[in-house]
Amino acid sequence: MTSVATGTDMSATTAVRRRRYVDRKSLLPLLLFLPPSLILFTLFVVLPMIDAATFSFFDWNGYGPITDFVGFENYADVITHRNFGTAVRNSLIVVAVSLLIQLPLAMWCAIALAERGTHINLIRVLFFLPYMLAEVAAGLIWKFVYDGNYGLLPAIGGAIGVDMPFVLGDKLWVIPAIMLVITWKYFGFHMMIFIAGLQSIPGEVIEAARLDGVSKWQIVRHIKIPMIRSAIVISVFFAITGALQLFDLIIPLSNGGPSHSSHTIVTFLYQFGILRMKLGFGGAVSVLLFIACVIVALAYRRILFKVEQN
Amino acid sequence: MKHIALAAMLGLAAIAPAQAQTVVRHLHITSIPAEVELMNKIAADFMAQNPDIKVELPFLENEAFKAKLTTLLQSADAPDVFHSWGGGVFYEQAAAGVLRPIEDVLSDEAKANVGTAGVSAFTAPDGHLYGVARDVSEVVLWYNKTLFEQAGVDPASMETWDGFLAGVQAFKDAGITPIAIGAKDKWPAHFWWSKLVVRLAGQDGFAAAARGEGDGFAGEDFVKAGEYFLQLAALDPWQEGFLAAGYGDASGYFGDGNAAMHLMGDWDYGAMKDNSADKNGIPDEELGILPFPTIEGGKGDPTDTLGGLGGVLFSRNASDAAVKWIEFFNSTENQALYAKDAYYIPIAKGAADVMTNPFKVQIGQNISNAHWHALFFDQALGPNVGGVVNDVSAELAANAMSAEEAAEMIKEAVDDEL
Repeated sequence: MTSVATGTDMSATTAVRRRRYVDRKSLLPLLLFLPPSLILFTLFVVLPMIDAATFSFFDWNGYGPITDFVGFENYADVITHRNFGTAVRNSLIVVAVSLLIQLPLAMWCAIALAERGTHINLIRVLFFLPYMLAEVAAGLIWKFVYDGNYGLLPAIGGAIGVDMPFVLGDKLWVIPAIMLVITWKYFGFHMMIFIAGLQSIPGEVIEAARLDGVSKWQIVRHIKIPMIRSAIVISVFFAITGALQLFDLIIPLSNGGPSHSSHTIVTFLYQFGILRMKLGFGGAVSVLLFIACVIVALAYRRILFKVEQN
Repeated sequence: MKHIALAAMLGLAAIAPAQAQTVVRHLHITSIPAEVELMNKIAADFMAQNPDIKVELPFLENEAFKAKLTTLLQSADAPDVFHSWGGGVFYEQAAAGVLRPIEDVLSDEAKANVGTAGVSAFTAPDGHLYGVARDVSEVVLWYNKTLFEQAGVDPASMETWDGFLAGVQAFKDAGITPIAIGAKDKWPAHFWWSKLVVRLAGQDGFAAAARGEGDGFAGEDFVKAGEYFLQLAALDPWQEGFLAAGYGDASGYFGDGNAAMHLMGDWDYGAMKDNSADKNGIPDEELGILPFPTIEGGKGDPTDTLGGLGGVLFSRNASDAAVKWIEFFNSTENQALYAKDAYYIPIAKGAADVMTNPFKVQIGQNISNAHWHALFFDQALGPNVGGVVNDVSAELAANAMSAEEAAEMIKEAVDDEL
């Protein structure tokens, strides 16, 4: 509470007033609803996180008691690992592609499909379908699409007379190929968030603008997008945190290969921490990832606060 | 009300004997339906003879099994008996105290039935016996006789490394893919490196390197193994897109008759059929096994084989009944049923005698005549070093790393473990 109060220019009296409000009106629901979620959260989120952080200071293979204290050695090993840089770079590429390609695409589709109508609903469902598919299933499907012998991609290439490479076995092509799948998989989700936002804009506002002779593009630019700001804020947040945690699409597609060139931070953690039974190393990766996520979340909040106050 | 209470009491009395049963949970990774059925049948026979013991056979898929086992063994839900491969991981499990020593429970007859190799494979460095060996496997060079004829390559000419390279070139010239490989999964690539090490360094050289003695895996023989591997890779002998192909893809590619050779375990005999487009694979009369080429000046014995030795381990909470079940399961009589259908090559004495599949028979003989049956290196060396071996093997197959760098990386991983 205090940190929020100092973080903004909230006056002392509002803080007091707010506290009193909490005391009187929300005490009962607080007592009623908080404990179950707090207990679950502690058991399944906080304690495992503390565990992982503890492992990161030990040399431990997963068996028996944790005794081999090594200080920050695991962290040093992670940072100097020959494949860690690639994993970080790839995760950042996913973030960039999500923000610069996936979200604009989702916005474009949302604006085109925000009207109601049977055929429009159908198209919407079609666009949303990939998102409902399990990640692993999507990965497997695209693995077949990309397969150089039997896949759809080489078939298309053959039809137009271009010799397609085995994209998932090619260091140059594997990342663009994965980015395409990510965009295909998640743009529908963001599109739905945007559509929900667009539909909450009162019709009169747009009607009035139209009567004033405002062009379509200007309506989008100056009315629609500003009015669904909160939807965009949520989408961007999901896109960034989702990108940092990307895992289950990569495993069936490329398994991080060829030559560990398509690892994300999480597949890197799984490959070198879990599968190779170096849980301390894995713990160190997860702590670093956690810190990165917290920084993103805090920075994002702060930036938004500033924008909101302006 | 009275009636209900009475009925309940009678009901309790009826299930009371069932509660007195000892439950044995045997976690397995068998996924071929007919093989699972056979396992269920053997368990049913056992339970008919031992009404006081109930055998349960939970299943986990191979990769899921590997990922889950560490946690499972340390939980209250640990299975009594579970599938295992001989090698590094099992020593860790023994050292952590999650296994039960069974040398005093297992009958001498059962010990004799798996032979000295079977006993030593499941004896940890602490001297205790923790498991029972079930099967052996060998990595061999499968080849397609039809394609050899087409390219005019004499299989006998492939027995030396130079002859082998010449043969590979002949296939290239004839427009036939010489070798299928599943390099995405990496372990299939590591068979090439391992076989070369078996030939070049031999048993003593490998054991010394694994202990980190001298130059370890950065030593001369291991660098040479990498160089020979690169010689092969330079010919671009693999199918197109081999870095994106998993084991199943490569196995199917060979089974479809698209590649002349496939360096793979004996299990590929069945898997190659399963993975092929028509599910028939290469007919027996067109299929052959080549010995891995010998290398002049190599320290290995020509009879040395590379493969696995699988079996089961007993977890900390396993009862004597669990041991009794495994003795029954692993008896010559029951293992002969597996041998008959060629699921694997049983280690139980005499069980393999009923094998009719000529390839399995030959592989069985190879192993029993071997001077050294090297366990898969990625398992023998433990998950961490093994992972690095697999990594560099895939790099070497792709001609993307120097032999020195590959050797150095493996040595570093070993040093890290010691």
